[in-house]
Amino acid sequence: MSLDRQPTVIARTVTRLVVPLILVTALALLFQGHNLPGGGFIAGVLTVTAFALVYVIFGLDYLEAELLDRNPGTRYETESGIIREYGTVFAVGLAVAVGSGIAAIALGYPFLTQAVAFVEPLPIYHELEVASALVFDLGVYAVVVGALLTILAEVGSE
Amino acid sequence: MQPSSSALLALLALPFLGAAFAPLVYRVLGERTAYFAAAVAAASLALVASLFGTQGTVAVPWIPTYGVSLAFYVDGLALLIGTLASGVGVLVFTYSGGYMHGEPGQVKYYATLLAFMGSMLGVAFAADLIALFVFWELTSVSSFLLIGHYQDADASQYAARKSMLITVAGGLFMLVGFLLLHVVATGVPAVDSAFRLAGEGSILANADTMVGALRAQGLFVPVLLLVGVGAATKSAQVPFHIWLPNAMEAPTPVSAFLHSATMVKAGVYLVGRFRPLLLTDEWTLVFGILGLATMTITAILAVAASDIKELLAYSTASHLGLIVAGYGMSGYLGAETGAFHILNHALFKAALFLVAGIVAHEAGTRAIDELGGLASDLPLTAAVTTVAALGMAGVPPFNGFYSKEFLFHAVYYTAEHAVADGGSVLWWLLPAVAVFGSIFTFLYSIRFLMLFFGDKPDALGEVHAPPLAMTVPAVVLGGLALVVGLGGVAGTFGVHFTPLERFVGTVMESSLAHAGEGEHSFSYYLPTEVSPWLIMSAVTIGVGAVAYPFFDGIRDGVRAVRDVDYLRPNWYYDGTVAGLDRSSAIDVIQTGNLRTYALALSLALAALTLGAYAAAGVAVPGLAFAGLGPALVVVLAVAVVGAVAVAAAPSHIAGVLTLSIVGFMVAIFYILGSAPDLALTQLVIETLVLVIFLLVLDKLPAFYGTANRLRAARDAVVAGAVGLTVTVTVLLSTAAGPDDVIAQYFVENGGVPAEHGPIFADAGGGGNIVNVILVDFRAFDTLGEISVVAMAALSVITLIAMRERGEIQ
Repeated sequence: MSLDRQPTVIARTVTRLVVPLILVTALALLFQGHNLPGGGFIAGVLTVTAFALVYVIFGLDYLEAELLDRNPGTRYETESGIIREYGTVFAVGLAVAVGSGIAAIALGYPFLTQAVAFVEPLPIYHELEVASALVFDLGVYAVVVGALLTILAEVGSE
Repeated sequence: MQPSSSALLALLALPFLGAAFAPLVYRVLGERTAYFAAAVAAASLALVASLFGTQGTVAVPWIPTYGVSLAFYVDGLALLIGTLASGVGVLVFTYSGGYMHGEPGQVKYYATLLAFMGSMLGVAFAADLIALFVFWELTSVSSFLLIGHYQDADASQYAARKSMLITVAGGLFMLVGFLLLHVVATGVPAVDSAFRLAGEGSILANADTMVGALRAQGLFVPVLLLVGVGAATKSAQVPFHIWLPNAMEAPTPVSAFLHSATMVKAGVYLVGRFRPLLLTDEWTLVFGILGLATMTITAILAVAASDIKELLAYSTASHLGLIVAGYGMSGYLGAETGAFHILNHALFKAALFLVAGIVAHEAGTRAIDELGGLASDLPLTAAVTTVAALGMAGVPPFNGFYSKEFLFHAVYYTAEHAVADGGSVLWWLLPAVAVFGSIFTFLYSIRFLMLFFGDKPDALGEVHAPPLAMTVPAVVLGGLALVVGLGGVAGTFGVHFTPLERFVGTVMESSLAHAGEGEHSFSYYLPTEVSPWLIMSAVTIGVGAVAYPFFDGIRDGVRAVRDVDYLRPNWYYDGTVAGLDRSSAIDVIQTGNLRTYALALSLALAALTLGAYAAAGVAVPGLAFAGLGPALVVVLAVAVVGAVAVAAAPSHIAGVLTLSIVGFMVAIFYILGSAPDLALTQLVIETLVLVIFLLVLDKLPAFYGTANRLRAARDAVVAGAVGLTVTVTVLLSTAAGPDDVIAQYFVENGGVPAEHGPIFADAGGGGNIVNVILVDFRAFDTLGEISVVAMAALSVITLIAMRERGEIQ
C-alpha cells in the first residue's frame, strides 16, 4: 500500500505499545483455548492483525529491515524472501497437525485421536492438564499465521 | 505352487522406491543414474524370475469396505509381460546411459521411466479390477511425462497431449466396463469378491456363469465393447493408432521401451486376460476385425513413412493388430498366436528401436531417403537389424515367422469352421486380409533392412561407431530373437527348446477359455509339409519380393491416399480438439470477467437450492420472535441499517467500512447469544478482512461511471435471489430442531470425566466445548479447513508472485 504521508507520531507510538500486547493476548488465547474461549484459529488471526498493524503503520519492509536486519524487498522468487519464510511456517504447521494425527495411529488409536494427561503434583499449580490437542492447535495456529501473512504480504506488496 | 507374497510385493514396490530415490541418487551419481536404474530393473527381473513356476493370488486389503484389494495374480501371461517390462527395462536403462548423455531433465527422465516400469508391472500382475485400472492409468500418466520429455518442443507437447487424451479416455471406457462387470459379478454367488479378476473365486474362475449372468442382463456386448475400447486405445488399434507415431517424439530409449515392450502391450495384455471370459462369436467378430484391420492399415501406412521411427511406430501398431487378431480367433491357435507374438514382437521391435536410436545418433538423420549403405560403418548394428527385420517380415527361420504362421493357421481354421457351420463366405476375407496386410509388413521390413545395404548417399557424412552402452543392449535383444528363431529350426529336427516352449505354453494357458479349447502343449518348428497356411506365408513372401522393386511407386501411391483429409483419423482428432478450443460457447461462458462468474455461480446456487426445497416440498416455517430481547433488536436494527448503507455507499471505501458495521453487529449478536468463541473469531476476522479489503481497494479504480439502469436491475434480481435462498435456508435449518443426540454426546464427553486416570483418550477433557469439538471430535474437519487455508495462500503466491513466469518461458 502506497502511503503518501507518514503516519502520525500518535499512530506509531500506539502501535509500538499495542503490538506486543496483541501478541501476548494471542498466545494466551492459544494456550487457554482448551478450557476457556480461544484456540489456535482465533490466536492465529489475532497474531496476523498485529502484523497487519505493523505493515500498515510502518510499511512492508519494516519487519525485514529493522527487526531481522536484512535487505528488504526480496520477492518470492529468491531464496530468502520473507514470504518464503511465511510459506515455511504454514507448511510446518500443516505437518505438525497431520503429524499429531499420525502419532495417534502409531499408538494404535484412530487418526487424530486426542488424549489428555494430568500431571501432578506440581508446585503452585498442583495439577496441570496437558492436552495432546494442544499440538494439533499449534499446527492450526501456524497454518493460519503463515497463510494469512503470506496473503497479506503478497497482496500488500502489490 | 503359490507365489511368495513378499517377492511379489517387493517386485511392485521396488521400481516406485527407485523412482522416489532417483533425485537423491542423481546428486551422487550424476549421469550414471542410468546404471542405478538398470540395477533396479535387474533386481525386478530377478524377482520376476523367482516367481517362475508359481501360480496364485496374493492379496493385501486396500478398501475393505468396498471389497477392493491390492490383489496380484501370477500366471504365465503376467510373468511374460513382467519379464518383458523388467528385462527390456534393464537394457533400455543401460542404453539410456549412452543415449541420454548431456540431455536435459535426466532426474525426471529416470524417475518417470522407473515409475512407468513399476506401473507396467502392476498392470501385469494386478488381479483386482480397481487396482488394474489404477496401474493402467498410472502407465498413461507416466508415459505422458515421458513422451513430453522435451517440454519446450511443440511437437512433444502435441504428442504427449494426444496420447494422454486418447489413452486416458479409453481407460475411462474400460473403467465403466469394469464397473458393469463388478455389478454383474455381485449377483453371481460363486464369485467371492466381485472386484477380483483372477484367482480362486474370481470373475475369470467362473467364466461360464459370469457370461450367463452378463447375457441375462444384456450387458455382455456393452462390457465387451467397453473393455475393447480400453484395449484398442492403449494398443493403438485403428482408428486410435494416431497417437503412436506422434509419441515417437520421445527420446528413442523411451520409444523402445514404451512402444515395443510395455505400454502398448498393456492393451493386448488386457485382451489376452479377458479372452477366457469373453471369448464368443461376438469376441471373434470384434477383435478379429479390429486386429486385422489395424494390422493391414498400419502396415500400409508404415510403407508410406518417411522417418525410420515413424516406420517402426506404424509397424508396432500393425504387429499389435496381429496379436489382437490372434487373440480374437477361437481355439488354442488364437491364444498361441497372441502369446508367442507378444514375445517375438517385443524382441525384434525393441532391437529395431535401439537400432533406430543408434542410426539417428550416429548418422545424424532419421529420414529414410537420406540413409543407406550403413553396414560398412555399423557392421554389428547391421547384423542385429538383419535378424530383427527378417523376423519382423516373417521370413523363415527368424522368430516372427513362427508366430505369423500361427496367425495364418488360426484365421484359416476360423474361416474354414465358420463357413462349414453355415457362416457367410465373407469369413474367407479373414485369411485374405491377413495375407494382404502381411505383404506390406514384408515390404517395410525389407525397406528398413535396406538402410544398411546398397549405396551410401554422398550427403550422409561420417558415421561414428556407437558407444558400447548402446550397442550391447541391441545385440542382446537381437541375439535373443535369433535364439528363438533357431529354436524353431532345432524343433524341426525334434530337438525342442523346452524351457521356452513350456513358458509360452503357460502364457497361452492364461488366455485359453475353459471350455472347448482342449489341452494343447505348445511347440513350434519349421513346417515340413505343405498346408494352406504355409502357402499363405509363401504368397506373402513371394508377392512381397516381387513388389519390392516397385517400393517407391507403392509408397507414393499410399501417400496420395493417406493425405486425403477425410481418410485421416488425425484430421478428425485435430478438428475436434481445435473446435473445442475456439467454440463460440466458450466466448460466452469464459468471458474472463469476475462478474460473469459471480453471476453464474450465485444464480446456480439459488436455483439449485430453491429447486431442491421445492422438489422436496418443504414448508417454510413462520418467523418466531420469542426470546428476542431489546438489546438484540437494537443490534440487529443497526446491522440492517449498515446493510442498506453498503448498497447505497458512494465509494468502495465507504462500502467496505459500512460492511464492517454489519460484521461487528453480528459479533455483538454472538456475545448476546453467549457464544464468546464465535464472537472473538468474528471480531478478529472482521478486523483483518477490513485491512485486506483496504489494501486491495487501493488498486481498484475509484469510480466506474454511472450505473446502467438495466444492469442495476439485473444485479438487484441476483442479489434478491441469493438473499431469499439464504433466508429460507436459515429458517429451515434452524426450525428443523435436530435430535439433540450429537450435541448431547459432545456435552457429555467434551469435559473432564468425573472419574479419570492420569491419562485418558476417550473424552475431550476440556472446559471449552467449542474448541474440544474443533480439535478433538471434529479434528478431521479442522484439518481439512487448515489445508484449505494453506491452499489459498499457495494460490495467492501462484497467482500474484508467479504470474509473470510461465508465459514468458
